[in-house]
Amino acid sequence: MAVIDFEFRNSIIQKDLGNTLAYCYQCGTCSGACPVAQVTKGRYNPRKLILNSLLGLKENLLLGAENNFNIWGCTVCDTCDEMCPQNVELTEIFILLKNMSVEKGEAPEYYTTQAKFILEHGKAIPLAPAIERRRDQMGLPKAPKVDKKEIRALLKETGLVKIIGPLEEEKKEGVK
Amino acid sequence: MEEYDLFPGCVIQNRIPYIEDSARKVFDKLGIKTSDAPFGCCPDPVGFNAVHHKSWMAMSARNLTIAEIDGRSIASLCNGCTQTLKAVNVELKQSEEEKDSINAVLAKIGREFKGTISVKHFVQILIEDVSIEKIKEAITTPFTGLKVACHTGCHYARPSHIMQWDDPMEPKCLRELVEATGATAVDYDEEVLCCGAGVGNTEEEPAMQILKQKFNSAIQAGAECFVVICPACFQQMDGNQRILKKMFEKDYNIPILYLTELFALAMGYKYDDLNLKLHRARPQALLEKYNAV
Repeated sequence: MAVIDFEFRNSIIQKDLGNTLAYCYQCGTCSGACPVAQVTKGRYNPRKLILNSLLGLKENLLLGAENNFNIWGCTVCDTCDEMCPQNVELTEIFILLKNMSVEKGEAPEYYTTQAKFILEHGKAIPLAPAIERRRDQMGLPKAPKVDKKEIRALLKETGLVKIIGPLEEEKKEGVK
Repeated sequence: MEEYDLFPGCVIQNRIPYIEDSARKVFDKLGIKTSDAPFGCCPDPVGFNAVHHKSWMAMSARNLTIAEIDGRSIASLCNGCTQTLKAVNVELKQSEEEKDSINAVLAKIGREFKGTISVKHFVQILIEDVSIEKIKEAITTPFTGLKVACHTGCHYARPSHIMQWDDPMEPKCLRELVEATGATAVDYDEEVLCCGAGVGNTEEEPAMQILKQKFNSAIQAGAECFVVICPACFQQMDGNQRILKKMFEKDYNIPILYLTELFALAMGYKYDDLNLKLHRARPQALLEKYNAV
């Protein structure tokens, strides 16, 4: 049986992103409006995510990397927020759950890989030489250079590096 | 007319630059002035925000400070970038506490968020700065008779308390803009349905189920093509038709046009000028009907 974790519930409600959680009365409008719930026959179910968050049943939410669809099935369409009669900001609460899932190392690889790209290149999609040539052919201006050093310093300061780990090159520098 | 800092976003700038090209051509025709700036990743509201919320806010705020120094508001070509930049801009303008917390990290790189600019999706600029009437005057090759399924994508007007633009569940502006070219915006049941790209980062099948649902609904309503205003939707809808074909044995082959491509065509540019052959679902046959090839 799942154990109630009061701290877990408070860690959501006390944050700006999660402070609408307590307004939920479980009407299920969110799951009815959710496109992913429809096509997965409820394997992804936003109402249940909110219920387990409200009850502090952390064990029912963070189920390991193999079973992360309950959290990561969200397509971030923001439809549930729009439809919720209680103005619960579901998508924002789900951001908190996803952040926790990342910290536990349970997130789909796509997400951490993208974050590493942003840390390394300052952009989720760096400019490849082939695209640069295509831009030239089209007569498009040069894509302005991004200050990668500044972005890395910023993301070290925010704590991202602690979560996803340092870049390979910086690991080596650390050894020196 | 107000001059903007252009925010093409990394998908358009570094993967599908023909869309940036069409936007620049249309902006020139309509007198929308933009400058380039060394922005970093917006970053992605679906991806990076889910990994670490504070880093997402700080990266977005850093971009806002770049535009603030330029003294120009941001014109975004992408829904995701618009939502990220606008959400953080609104949040930091509203909450002193959040602003102080983000400025504390920005201070380490010598920056400060002041809250002096705004962020706009290019659709908003077309409607507010240019106007439907002026756009109609610039149309030289009308698309009379073309049946279009409008797809705004999710992050264009939701969440509504942040975006404060258009109707979040019955968007109207894209339909008006498409109809300014003489085309008809069809009514279809799944107009506000997500393209499915978000869940596609986790699992392919539900993403394709959603896309199929959307395509079927539009085709049933008589649509000959989609018009979109978000590069993530564009890639999902144009690039993944071959996956749909494999999964459901149905070849949709339905053209997906960016609004700026439709406009550029309606303003006299041709298929080759816009590199439309780079689309996976090639719009050539459709556009031949309208003398746009």
